[in-house]
Amino acid sequence: MTSMALSPLVIAAVLVAGAVGAVLRFALSRAFPVRPGHLPGGILLVNVVGSGLAGALIGLAEVAAIDGALRLVLVTGFCGGLTTFSTWSVETIELLVGGRWRAAVLNVGLTLVLGIGAAAAAYLAVR
Amino acid sequence: MRSYLAVAVGGLIGTGLRLVCDLAFPHSDDAFPIETLVVNLLGCLALGWLVGGLWTRPATPVWLKAGLGAGVIGSFTTLSAVIASLLALTREGEVWLAALSLLVSVVGGLALAAAGLQLGSTLAHRPLPHDVSDAGETL
Repeated sequence: MTSMALSPLVIAAVLVAGAVGAVLRFALSRAFPVRPGHLPGGILLVNVVGSGLAGALIGLAEVAAIDGALRLVLVTGFCGGLTTFSTWSVETIELLVGGRWRAAVLNVGLTLVLGIGAAAAAYLAVR
Repeated sequence: MRSYLAVAVGGLIGTGLRLVCDLAFPHSDDAFPIETLVVNLLGCLALGWLVGGLWTRPATPVWLKAGLGAGVIGSFTTLSAVIASLLALTREGEVWLAALSLLVSVVGGLALAAAGLQLGSTLAHRPLPHDVSDAGETL
């Protein structure tokens, strides 16, 4: 996938898709603001939805329903911009610093179980 | 509105930086996804540093936090690529490598986020922030 020639148009499309994903993530985290000590629901939601979407798109690329360039734009660009690893990690540490062990463990566990579950289910469903 | 613009511009930059790392460290589907790990660990350290050192400064404008945090670093790091690489490794029969990759990503990300928070707040001579409420623009 990474060995294919990248046209300037594809690169531009990846960047714009990433920006659109970032704005959607920002809008959702504003719609579900986190109260101190509670589960960051907006970030959980975008991470699970973005991972599920990536699973579906990778499955579609394997059955040749979408080509490599479109896969790069949607998976690397949009899903990569929509999901985030850094906010998830820092918010988990914030929960730990605040003594909220259960919320921290729940934040890590739910994100991984639901994210992997959504991606695997979507991948298997489209193939 | 200014925050949304900052996130959009930051999203372009963060996605671009991640794409550069993807192209600089290519890997096959059955190999350890090193570029995603490097990107995510760097992003955790950077965001922790900013939250500890810059977000704790009362004069830091909201649009700057949104642009750097949610925009640049938020779109630089990715969970979907971590999970996509788990699918790829599992499909190639590399189940233990997938498990190791996930473990290193999660433990490493948390450790570097904690280190970043500690370093950022120590160097800025401010107490470690906790109970940060997040309405999108703060983290």
